Amino acid sequence: MTELSAAPPLPLVMRRKRSNPWGYLFALPYVAHFLVFTAYPLGFALYLTVHRWDIVGNDQPFVGTRNFQKLLRDDLFFTALKNTLIFLAVHVPLQIVVALALAVVLNGPIRFRTFFRTAFFLPYVTSGAVIAIIWTQLYAGDGLLNGFLKVLHLPPQGWLTSTTLAMPSIAIMATWKNVGYYLMIFLAGLQNIPPSLYEEANLNGATGWQRFWYITLPLLNPAMLLVLVLSTIGAFSLFVEPFVMTGGGPVDSTLSVVLLLYRNAFQFLNMGYASTIGVVLALIIFLVTYLQRRVVEQELTY
Amino acid sequence: MIRRSLLLLLALSTAASAQQALTFWPSSNPEEIDFAKAITAAWNKANPTQQVKMQPLPASRSTEEVLLAAIAAKTTPDVAANIYPGAISQFVAAGGLYPHNKLADFKSFMTARSGADVLEAYTSADGNVYQIPWKSNPTMYAYNVTLLAQAGVKPGDLATYSGFLDAARKVKAKWGGKKYLYAPNIDPTWWQRFFDFYTLYIAASGGKTLLDKNGKVTFDNEAGQQVFTFLASLFKEGLAPTSSTAANRFFQGEALIEPAGPFTVPFYQQNAPKGFKFDFVPPPMPDAMKGKPVYTYGDPKNIAVFTTAKDPAVAWKFVKFVLSKENDALFMKSTGQIPYRLNIGKDPTFAPILKARPYLKKFLAQGAYTRGVDDSKNLIEIFDAISRQYDAAVVHGQGDPVSAIKKAAQNARDIIDGF
Repeated sequence: MTELSAAPPLPLVMRRKRSNPWGYLFALPYVAHFLVFTAYPLGFALYLTVHRWDIVGNDQPFVGTRNFQKLLRDDLFFTALKNTLIFLAVHVPLQIVVALALAVVLNGPIRFRTFFRTAFFLPYVTSGAVIAIIWTQLYAGDGLLNGFLKVLHLPPQGWLTSTTLAMPSIAIMATWKNVGYYLMIFLAGLQNIPPSLYEEANLNGATGWQRFWYITLPLLNPAMLLVLVLSTIGAFSLFVEPFVMTGGGPVDSTLSVVLLLYRNAFQFLNMGYASTIGVVLALIIFLVTYLQRRVVEQELTY
Repeated sequence: MIRRSLLLLLALSTAASAQQALTFWPSSNPEEIDFAKAITAAWNKANPTQQVKMQPLPASRSTEEVLLAAIAAKTTPDVAANIYPGAISQFVAAGGLYPHNKLADFKSFMTARSGADVLEAYTSADGNVYQIPWKSNPTMYAYNVTLLAQAGVKPGDLATYSGFLDAARKVKAKWGGKKYLYAPNIDPTWWQRFFDFYTLYIAASGGKTLLDKNGKVTFDNEAGQQVFTFLASLFKEGLAPTSSTAANRFFQGEALIEPAGPFTVPFYQQNAPKGFKFDFVPPPMPDAMKGKPVYTYGDPKNIAVFTTAKDPAVAWKFVKFVLSKENDALFMKSTGQIPYRLNIGKDPTFAPILKARPYLKKFLAQGAYTRGVDDSKNLIEIFDAISRQYDAAVVHGQGDPVSAIKKAAQNARDIIDGF
C-alpha cells in the first residue's frame, strides 16, 4: 500500500496541462462558432428583453419590465401560444405514429426498400418554402385535393381558409415533410434491437403484435424520447409554413409564436418585445421537454 | 509581411473608390428596369467623368426591407427610386436619407415640376424634405367591359355603395354564384389593405388618411365604419368569395372588377386572354357622398439620395436628369405610369403618349384627387391591426364591423402610445 503511493501517477491537473494544447486547438473552431453564433445572440436577446430597439438606430433605452407587461396583456401572444399547442397536439402524435409505422415496414424484407427510404427522406431535405408553395396549390379552393373530393361527390373544403381546418392542414403537411427524418431515427433504433430477442419470442409463440408491444416498443425508448423531444421543439418553432401559406390567417388561426415574434422583430421593428417573446418561448420549450424526459425516459435492459 | 499586404489592400481599395461610379437602384419590374437602363445609358454618354452604375433593387418581400437592411449595413446606393413614402420616417430615424432641401435649386426645380403643394405634402415634421416626389399610380377599379354589360350593370352604377351592392347581386343571380362582381383580397398581409380598405376609406372620407395632422388616430369615424360595413356585407351576402385561388379571377371572368393602377395596364396587355376588354372607374363611395369629388389612394413612389452618397450634388444632378420633362415622358411611355408633373394633359411632349393610351387620361384626371400614406414609424403595425380586424369581421363575419374598426383604432392608439 505504502509502496504504491510512493510512486503515484501524475497529478490530474498536471496531466491535463501536458496533454491538452492540441485539444484546445481542435476545439477552437467549435468554441468560436458557439460564442459568436449562440452565446452572444442569447446574451443579447436577454439584454433586449429589458430594452427597446428598432434595429436600425443605435438608441436602446432601458424599459424595465415593460416588455413583459406587454406580453401578459397581449391577446395575440396567447392566441399564438394556443395555436402552437394545437399544432403540437396534432403534429407530434401523428409524426410519431406515422414515422414508427413506416420504420417498422421499411425495416422488414420488402421490395425496393432503398427506393422507399430515399423517397420518404426527400421532402425533409427539400426547402420548406418550396414545399409550402406546392401544398398551398394542393390545398387551394380549386386545387388538387378539392378535385379529388369532387370526384368522390364530397363538398370542397377551405383547407387553408377555414379557421378550424387551416392549422390541422398545416400540421399534416409538416408531418409529411419531416417524417423521413424521424423515420431514420426509428430505423436506426430498430436495427439496434438484437434479432435473438425476436427468435426467442417466436419460439415462445408470441404473435407479431406481442413482439412489437413487448420487444420493439420498449427497446425503442431512447429513439422514442429523441423523436418526441425533437418533434416537440420543431413544433414550437413552427414558422415557414404559416408565413408562406396563410400569413397567420384566417383570423389569426395559424399565427404561431415564432411568426408573431418575426412580425414584431422584422416588420414592426420592436426587437425588445420580439426578444421577450423569444425568451419566454425558450423557457416554455425547456419546461415541456424536461417534463417529457421525466415521463417518457425509462431504463431498460433485457 | 502583414504590414505590406495591408498597405497593398489599402492602395487597391483607394484605387477602386477613385473609379467608383454613382450607384442607382431602380425598382425591379421589367418596364422600370428598361427605363432605368435607357436613362443610365444616356447619362453615361453625356457625362463620361461622372458614370452611373444601375443595379435593380434585389427582388425580395419588399423594397422597404431591402433598403432598411442596406441602411443598417451602410451599403445604400447614392440614389434609389421607387421608395414608398410610408417608410421614410423609419429611414430618417435610421439616419439613411439626405435632407434634399439642402441641395442647390431643389425647391425651385421641384416646385416648377410638381407644384408647391406636392412638395409640401412630402415635407417632414422637422421641416426637411427627405424624398423627391416622382410618380403616382392612382388606384381605380378595372372592369371587364363585356361581362359587366352582360350582367346589365352600367359602369356608373358602381359609384355608390348601394349601386355597387345591387350590381353584385345582379352578377350573383345571373351566373348562379359562379361569377362575382368583386372578389376582395383575403390575404391578411398588411399592405394588401392599401387596395381595399384604405382606397375606400380615402374615398369615403373625402380625402382623409389614417392619422390627422397631430398624428392622432381618426379612422374609426363614420367613413371608416361605413367602409367596414360595406365590405362586410359583400361577404355576408355571399357576394364575394371567402376562398382564394391560384388563378387570376379577373382574367378568367370570375370577378368582373378589381382594383388597378396605371402600372397594371402593361400586365393586362401582355397577359389577358384574347379579346379581353377593360376600362376603369373610380372607387365607390357611401351614397351620401354622391356628386362629391372621388379621392383615392395614390400609391406614390419617390426617389431619394442617401447619406452614403459620395457627392450629393452630383447625385442631385443625376436625379434632375431623371426628372427632366423628356425623361418623364420617356418614363410614362415605357411604363404607363404617371410622373408627378404639372400640366401633363396640356403639354405637347406628352400628347402622343396620351393619344396612344387613352385610358391614361382617366388616371391623369384622378391624379388630382389622390392621397398617399401618413408619415409614421408605426404605419406597418397600424395597417396590420386594421388587417386583422378586416380578416375577422369583414371576411369571416366574426363580430360586427363597426366594433371591429373601433377595435382596430384602439389597437392603433395603443401602438402609437408604445404599448
